[in-house]
Amino acid sequence: MKDKLKFLIKQSLKKKIDTKWFKIANVIILLALLTLMNIDKIIGFFGGDFNNETQIIVVDNVDQYDLFYSYFEAITDGIEDYDKYKVEKTNESLTALKESLEANDNKIIVVLNPSNEEYLTTEVITYDPLGTTNNQMIFSVLSSLKTTVALQESNLTEKELATLTSPVEMKTLVTNPDLAEESGSKDTVASLLIVILIIPFFFLITMLTQMIGADINEEKSTRGMEIIISNVSPQIHFLSKVISATLFVVIQGLLLIVYAVIGVILSNVSLGTATESTNVLGGIVQSLKDFGMLDLLVQGGLVILVMFLFTLLAYSILAGVLASMTTSIEDYQQLQTPLMIILMIGYYVALMASVFEGALFIKVLAYIPMLSFLIAPVIYLLGQFSLLHLIGSTLVTVICTILMYRYGLRIYKVGILNYSSKKLWKKMFRSLKER
Amino acid sequence: MLKVENVSKSYGSFLAVDDLSFEVGNGEIFALLGVNGAGKTTTFRVIIGLLEKDKGTITLDGKPIDYSVTDKIGFLTEERSLLTKLTVREQAIYYGILKGMKENDILEKLKYWLDRFNVSEYLDKKIKELSKGNQQKIQFITAIINEPKLLILDEPFSGLDPINIEMFMSAIRDLKKTGTSIIFSSHRMEHVELFCEKLVVMMKGKSVLSGSIGEIKKKYRKKNILIKADLDIKKLESIKGVVSVEEQGDHHSYVVSIEDESVVDNVFAYIKTCKNVTSFTVEEPTLNEIFISKVGESYEG
Repeated sequence: MKDKLKFLIKQSLKKKIDTKWFKIANVIILLALLTLMNIDKIIGFFGGDFNNETQIIVVDNVDQYDLFYSYFEAITDGIEDYDKYKVEKTNESLTALKESLEANDNKIIVVLNPSNEEYLTTEVITYDPLGTTNNQMIFSVLSSLKTTVALQESNLTEKELATLTSPVEMKTLVTNPDLAEESGSKDTVASLLIVILIIPFFFLITMLTQMIGADINEEKSTRGMEIIISNVSPQIHFLSKVISATLFVVIQGLLLIVYAVIGVILSNVSLGTATESTNVLGGIVQSLKDFGMLDLLVQGGLVILVMFLFTLLAYSILAGVLASMTTSIEDYQQLQTPLMIILMIGYYVALMASVFEGALFIKVLAYIPMLSFLIAPVIYLLGQFSLLHLIGSTLVTVICTILMYRYGLRIYKVGILNYSSKKLWKKMFRSLKER
Repeated sequence: MLKVENVSKSYGSFLAVDDLSFEVGNGEIFALLGVNGAGKTTTFRVIIGLLEKDKGTITLDGKPIDYSVTDKIGFLTEERSLLTKLTVREQAIYYGILKGMKENDILEKLKYWLDRFNVSEYLDKKIKELSKGNQQKIQFITAIINEPKLLILDEPFSGLDPINIEMFMSAIRDLKKTGTSIIFSSHRMEHVELFCEKLVVMMKGKSVLSGSIGEIKKKYRKKNILIKADLDIKKLESIKGVVSVEEQGDHHSYVVSIEDESVVDNVFAYIKTCKNVTSFTVEEPTLNEIFISKVGESYEG
C-alpha cells in the first residue's frame, strides 16, 4: 500500500506540476512579481511629464528672493525628486512672462508683492492648473515667507528672529529597554509583515483548495474513482490528495521566494551601486531589528513554520472533504466560498492588529484554527502575543488538524462514492458516526 | 472461485440486495441479470468492496475480498471510468500500478491488447480524443491488464458494434481458458445465451432464478414439438400424453402439444416410423421468454 500511496502522490503532483500550464502560470507569476517589485523603475524607464524639470520663476517685488529660495530648499529636502525643481529670479516683465507660458511647459510664475496691511501678497501663475503637490509646497513656502516678513517688521533682533523662524526640534524617546529608538511607524512594519507572510499564504491556500477540488472532482465525475477505490483504500487516496496538494503549495511557495529574491536583486541592480543593493533587504532587516521582531522571529520561527504547515494540511483536508461531498466542480466552488470568507476575515483582522493594539478579541481569534495562521504570527511579531501564546495557538491548530483528518476521513469514505446531492448533509452527518 | 453467500445490502430503508447467494467457479462465465434497479450494480460494488455489505460473506478462493486480494480482480464499470485528460499509456500505467503491476509489464501487456483490438495507434492519444467505442476498448484493457483471477464486467458490450463485441467475447473466452472467473451483466440476452454458463436473475434485490443455462432451459422447456413429416394425426393423438396436434398452414407441418417431457420419446418413436421426416424439434424457450415468465417484463425492453 505504501508503494501505491507514493505512486498516487507522485501522480497527483505530476498532474499539477508537469504541465505546460503550470510552467506558463509560473512565468506569468515571475513576471508579475518582478514588475510589481520594480514598478517605479519601469514607469520611470518609459518616461513622461513627471520627468520634466519644473521651473519656478520668481518675480520679486519685495526683495525676499533669498529667503524664498532657502524656504523652498528646506521644504523640498525630503522630496525624492527635489532636483527636478529649478528656482530662479527674473527681471522680465510680468506681461512677457505670462505670454511665454504654454501647455506642458512646467513653468510656475510666483509674484511676490509688498502690502501694507498683509505684509506680503503673492500671485501664482501657470498655464495648466497647478498640481496638488506643487500647490501645497508653494503655499507652505509663501506662508513661511509671509510670517518671516511680518516678524522682520516687528523690530525683533536677528537672534530672536532666527529662533522664531527655525523649525521646532522633536526628539523621540522609547523607554522599552528591548527596543531601539523607533526608526519608523509600527503600522508600516505591520503592513510589511502582512505583505511578506500573509498575502503569499493567502494566495497559496486559494490555489490549494482549487487544485484539490478539481483533482477529486475529475476522478469522481469520470467514475475513475470507483476503479481507484477498488484498488486502494479511501484512506490512502485521501492521504495522497492531502499530501500532494500540500507538497504542491510548498513547492509553489518556495518558487515564490526564489522569484522575490530575483525581484530584489533586479531591483537593486537597476539602482546601480552595490551599497544601494544591500539597502532594500537591509532596510527590511533593519526595520525588523529596530522593533525587536528579528529576535522574535528567531525564537518563534519554527513554531510559525509548524503552524503554517498544519494550517496547509487543515485546508487540504477540508477542501478534500468538501470536494468528496460534491458531484461537480461548480458545486464545489460554491462550497469553497465560505473558506475564502474565512481567509478574508483573518486577513482584515491581521491588518487591524497594529491599530487595535492588545485587543482581546484579536487574541481570541488568533487561537482559532484556520484563522490563527493569519493573525497569530503578526501579533506575535508586533509584540502583542507571547511565544507561549504562539505555541498554544499552534497546538490548537495541530490538534484540530488531526481531528479534522480523523472525522473528515469518515465523510470522505462515503462522499467519494456518492453521486447524488439528495439528502447530502444527512448522509454526511450519518457517516461521522460510522467508524 | 468466487463465493457469494447470503449477502444483503440496504440503503436506509431500501433493500437493494436481499440474501443473495451464488458461486462462480474458476474458468466459468456467469451472468447477473435483472431489470434496471434490480440490484446488479450494487452486487458488483459489494463484491469489489466499494460498498459494505450489511450481512453475508464474499470470498475469492476462500479468502474474504479486501485490499490484499484486489490486485487479482479486474473491474469494468457501466459508466466510463477513465481519466479523460490522460493518454492511453498514462491511463494504463495509472490503473496497472494501482493493481500492483510494474510499469514495464503494464506497457508490454498494453501493447499486446492494443494490437489485438486494432487500436495500437492510440497509445499516446488522450482518452478524450477517442471515440466512445475505442474508449470502451481502453477501459476493457485496463480491466484485464492484470490478468485477473476474478473479472467483473458491468455492461461490457455497451456502445460496441457487432465486430467489436465479438473481439471482446473472444478476449473473455481466452481469459476463461486461463481460469479466470468472469461475472458480467448485459442488457442483451443473446450475449448471455452465447457464452455464459450460469446465471442469476435478480428482481428487487432477490434471486428469482439461478443455475446453469442448460438446466434452466430444460426446466422451462415449452411443451411443444414441431414436426415436419407425412404422419397420421389420429395415430399421433392416440399416444398417451399428447394433448393436441395442430396442422400449420404449411403442408405436413405440425405443432404437437404434450403433457410433459416424458412424452417426447414416445412421439419420437412413432415419428421414426413415418415417411419424409424433415424436422423434429422440441421447442426451447429463449432466455428472454424465461425472464418474462419469472420477472413479468421483457429484459431487453
